[in-house]
Amino acid sequence: MGKHRKLVQYLILAFVLLVGGYAIGNSLFTSSDALAKGDKPPAFKLADLDNVAHDWSEYEGKPVILNFWGTFCPPCRAEMPALQKQYEKWHDQGLELVGINLSEDQITVERFAAEVGAKFPILLDRDKKTERAFGLKQYPTTYFISADGTIQDVLVGGPLDEDDLEPRIERLMNGRK
Amino acid sequence: MLIQNTKCECGHQNPVGTVLCESCGKPLFEEAAGAEDAPLEMRYDGVARRSQKQNPHLIDRVWNFFSSVKIAIYLIILTLLGAALGTIFQQESTFINMTTDEEFAAYYKETYGTAGVIYHALGLSHTYESWWFRGLLVMIGASLVICSLDRVLPLYRALNKQQIRKHLQFITRQQVTYSGEVAGDETAWVESFKKQLKRRGYRVHQDGTALLAEKNRFSRWGPYINHIGLILFLLAVLGRSVPAWHMDQYLALYEGETRQIPDTNYYLKNDDFTLELYDESELASNQKGKAVPKLFETKATMYECIEACNDPTRDPVLKQVEQHPIQVNSPLSHGDLKIYQNSYQARVRFISVNVTLTDTVTGKAYGTFALRADNPERVYEVGPYTLRLNDYFPDFGLDSESRPMTKTRDPNNPAFAFTITGPDLLKDGETYLYFPMPNEESKAYQAILNDYYVKNGQSSGKFAFKVENAMSGGKMVNVTFSEYTTFLNIRKDKAMPYIWVGAAISMIGLIMGFYWQHRRVWLRIDGGTLSLGAHTNKNSYGLRADVAWALARTGIEVPPKSLDNRRNLR
Repeated sequence: MGKHRKLVQYLILAFVLLVGGYAIGNSLFTSSDALAKGDKPPAFKLADLDNVAHDWSEYEGKPVILNFWGTFCPPCRAEMPALQKQYEKWHDQGLELVGINLSEDQITVERFAAEVGAKFPILLDRDKKTERAFGLKQYPTTYFISADGTIQDVLVGGPLDEDDLEPRIERLMNGRK
Repeated sequence: MLIQNTKCECGHQNPVGTVLCESCGKPLFEEAAGAEDAPLEMRYDGVARRSQKQNPHLIDRVWNFFSSVKIAIYLIILTLLGAALGTIFQQESTFINMTTDEEFAAYYKETYGTAGVIYHALGLSHTYESWWFRGLLVMIGASLVICSLDRVLPLYRALNKQQIRKHLQFITRQQVTYSGEVAGDETAWVESFKKQLKRRGYRVHQDGTALLAEKNRFSRWGPYINHIGLILFLLAVLGRSVPAWHMDQYLALYEGETRQIPDTNYYLKNDDFTLELYDESELASNQKGKAVPKLFETKATMYECIEACNDPTRDPVLKQVEQHPIQVNSPLSHGDLKIYQNSYQARVRFISVNVTLTDTVTGKAYGTFALRADNPERVYEVGPYTLRLNDYFPDFGLDSESRPMTKTRDPNNPAFAFTITGPDLLKDGETYLYFPMPNEESKAYQAILNDYYVKNGQSSGKFAFKVENAMSGGKMVNVTFSEYTTFLNIRKDKAMPYIWVGAAISMIGLIMGFYWQHRRVWLRIDGGTLSLGAHTNKNSYGLRADVAWALARTGIEVPPKSLDNRRNLR
């Protein structure tokens, strides 16, 4: 009887601890859904300007820069040349640089990309789905994702210049091996 | 803790913390002088709580903490105070359009001033999601389980094996007592008294000249059943934090818009939104002149995606599954999902326009084409001319370097740039900008920019864009736009059935405890002297009436009031 009673006691306390831990932990750790350093980015599948679908798995395992931008955001426009320059410099060495447009009409995106001379791959988000999955709060936001698939750095806001990009890209490239 | 001798004079070994001997009912504690005859403390029938131990170790101490009713009451008071704090200002979770902490901070500062800043900084703007509030709830839950278990099991045991012949002190110190002489045969009197009590619905147990009569014992389990219901309720509420169990999100739809309900395979279309206002004559005097909505309704259609759902290169294939005019308290429901009308906003949104291409000089119309705001077509054939959409700005503006740009993603002030080719035009085609919105600003932009193209040699200025017969019979015919954006609340709550069951169990427990009373009568006759004691957990008037009624029918007439032991003492 005594043994049995103790067991019940422990079981109940363990259950309380479990449920309580879950409830409190939930409120402590899920307050922010924005991605941060060390997180793995959510998978996505988006079409490019030629209406070809691209899956996140195509980029996984390579150093990747994801730049979320919109034509309505002046700093996004301002940082395009720097991004294009870095893309030209590093793409041959294995760096992927992808611009994800913030759910705008394709014609608007095409014209804008041509005007600012952005020739790196551009994917079109739809109905803010990917934007929401990444927990984006501000534009532009640039993610530096290392070859092991974790986010090495996040730059929120802009415009970025080459001094912002270069050292981060070097870190990405050095981390791959 | 002092080691007590817990053995009763009747020979029964009681656990530590026992107040009344489990067997004969003799009080085990010496009362203070002057209170030797005071009514007994009958809580839990005087049995020890399970956790009362002589040498508690750490786990026992934790258990004892939650086992205390005093602690439970403090916890409840703290939770009530905490919950009250959350009602001072509006909570973050009620805002549809804000998500970041900065936005919230700014809102509280702007709306409530310094108090708002403090409120937000303390985290009270999300009281009910805070770790401490959740912690309090979990502690109340633990306290409910442990308090109940610690009391209900010993109580069940005590009530299940009650001794009929109780200690004399136990009987004479009850709240309802009588003592007096019994004339004639003692056993025969007990028999007849027994019969009377049975008529009142008591279960009677007899042991010679001692008697125990009992009624409605089940009402003692009411509080514990209530607690089971409350625990189920609390667990169900907690279950809402499991994502698959709960969804609570908002979707803004302008008229005619179809959007996916995030994280589901469903799409929702706002077919039409209607707003009805109260007439001036229907309004109270203090509401006169205000626009008071009488009814707002979203005619909605729900679709399920059946093909190309995750294919970004194609539009999804949708199948209609539900259609319902959503009003406040009349949601559209499909499976687990319920879609409620939350609010609306008067916001004009351009959808499409039928434009006529005309000649600026002769006024001749070349033809009409339809132009939409979302994903406009690239090429339009109008008469002998071909219009190629060259650029599109949903919300036209100029950036700091006077370059055309779109200010937002919404078609608040759309501008379409066309290259027109055809007979008698410039060799490379001509460039025109068209602003469908009939406001001064956009018409001014249109004039300036088209003039610029003429000066720059990109255009001959041959064409003008017109909307013909825009109004016909008081209705816009060639222009479609949305007047209102509706805000719908999409909810899924799989915890709800458990919440209802929990609430029902809790109610059953409350009714059991409130509307029935556990009544017990003990008596013994020692040498012609009858000693009777009776106890109930509530409504001692009823108990006294029962006892006086039965006594009267066995020849002992006493006013019910005189049976009150507590009153007689005071």
